[in-house]
Amino acid sequence: MKVPSLRDNAIAAALVLCAGFALVFFYAPLDADQGFIQKIFYLHVPLAICSLAGFVIGGIFAIAHLRTDKAIYDVRSYVAIHLSVIFGVGVLITGSIWAHASWGKWWVWDEPTLVSFLIVFLLYATYYPLRYAIEDRDRQARYASVFAITAGAFVPLNFVAVRMAQSLVHPRVFATANGGLPGSMMLTFLVCLAGMALLWIALVRFELAAKAASASLSRLRRALEGEEYAPQSGSRIAPRVPSSATSPS
Amino acid sequence: MPALPLDEAGKYVAGAYLVFLTLVLIYVAIMAAKVARIQRELGELADLAEGRPDDNPPGADAGAQENARGEAEGKVLERERSSREELV
Amino acid sequence: MTPESPQSRRPSSLGALRAILAKDLRVELRTLQSVPAMALFAVTTFVLFRYGLDRESLSGGLAAGVLLATVLFAAILAVNRLFVAERDEGGFDAIRLAPVDGTALLGAKAAALVIYLLLLEAIAVPAFGLFFLDTWSGIPPLLGVLLLTDLGLAATGVLISSIAANSRARDLLVPLVLLPLLVPVMIAAAGASQELLAAGGPSYDGVAKWLAVLTFYDLTFAAVGFAVYDYLLED
Repeated sequence: MKVPSLRDNAIAAALVLCAGFALVFFYAPLDADQGFIQKIFYLHVPLAICSLAGFVIGGIFAIAHLRTDKAIYDVRSYVAIHLSVIFGVGVLITGSIWAHASWGKWWVWDEPTLVSFLIVFLLYATYYPLRYAIEDRDRQARYASVFAITAGAFVPLNFVAVRMAQSLVHPRVFATANGGLPGSMMLTFLVCLAGMALLWIALVRFELAAKAASASLSRLRRALEGEEYAPQSGSRIAPRVPSSATSPS
Repeated sequence: MPALPLDEAGKYVAGAYLVFLTLVLIYVAIMAAKVARIQRELGELADLAEGRPDDNPPGADAGAQENARGEAEGKVLERERSSREELV
Repeated sequence: MTPESPQSRRPSSLGALRAILAKDLRVELRTLQSVPAMALFAVTTFVLFRYGLDRESLSGGLAAGVLLATVLFAAILAVNRLFVAERDEGGFDAIRLAPVDGTALLGAKAAALVIYLLLLEAIAVPAFGLFFLDTWSGIPPLLGVLLLTDLGLAATGVLISSIAANSRARDLLVPLVLLPLLVPVMIAAAGASQELLAAGGPSYDGVAKWLAVLTFYDLTFAAVGFAVYDYLLED
């Protein structure tokens, strides 16, 4: 099966996400409990799911990196985690807005998924100082992969623990009125989820392409100007795309 | 708890979706800056490879560049070949 | 490192583990780097809490929180120092060269950390009881919770310590990365402890499920540690 190009991927993401948001505002019924505020659910939850899936995917790439010792997997792991952290910022901000609209407070400890997401986010935020603190690039990549695997294993465990800590007295803020989603809401949610996932994939591939271009540029510069050229661009923590990877993944 | 009236609730919902849009646009802007830098450097290197002195020769002085013109082309081919061999 | 069992030609992993553990304990006994500092830190922190919370008696959730937070932070002190000697004196190279599994180092360091924590708790828990508890009847079952907590602390602590040992700013990196990872341990241990330290005497309501979570955490991160450790040791 031929992998769709980045351009097609991005177009698909834009179309599906637009369709999803259209469904949110023109098709999905109003929630009996929370009213119009519930519309945030269609944005917040897909962001959260994609972010968490992205962290796990980062862990899977990290496993591939350790097993095959190919730098391309480290780059993919880094970008996957990087974008999931960005999506994570979106999750926390939209979750906070939703909390304020529902409860009048900008943060609630009563919503277990939001709290466990905060913990996961705090953990993955340490990914950057971790990479920055290790100077040797090979070792940096290896240790970052170990971290990504450990953190990936941590995500489900953390969710279980936080959910268990949730006292049954406080009702969950974000649960819908009767627990399950009615069909029309479910459809809208799934379309939004698909759009968000496509967006995540498109952005990952976008960033990988930019990194590959940067790497090719460095190679070209080195070739033209000789070995004296020291690459001053490119941060110390962002892994370099290996020369063998010329096309975006 | 009672749901907020539509005009108030609308602001929150709009705010949330705007936050999402802003994040995506900020990301696009950062990537655009990166791509612009890549484009600029490619332009410089293209000039260097063709031996045409550009306005801001990267690191090399004008005189050396004239002499290095023929050398540079030869070097490019050789280094590309050898670096490709290294990777295989 | 001499093999413990004379029958085998190569030192077994278990033999290597015992040897490394014995070495670490001997060093700790001689230099007294970790355990006294941890114990002192814990007792001083209890005093801080007494004034910070303006309470002379604690029970239930508050007691669990104070005790566990203190143990957690004291553990970080030990985790920070766990691999310093190995890195400075070339211990990592020795393990790499020796024909033993890298996991022997992992197991030995984890075992050493558990022992240090148990010693810490031998001092800190009575002090805590003295300072804050009205009844000591909850303490014996609490020790079981603490043991599982120590295993969890060791499982993740050794991993993060190994990563941090070979980086700059390792003292900063360990608390930064380790604390989020330890949140489930805190949740589960506090959930169990607050029942055991309840004001009227220990209650066992729901303690079993928290112990199950702790056990699951310990097993998961022990497994992760075993799986990735050889990659950490690679030069």
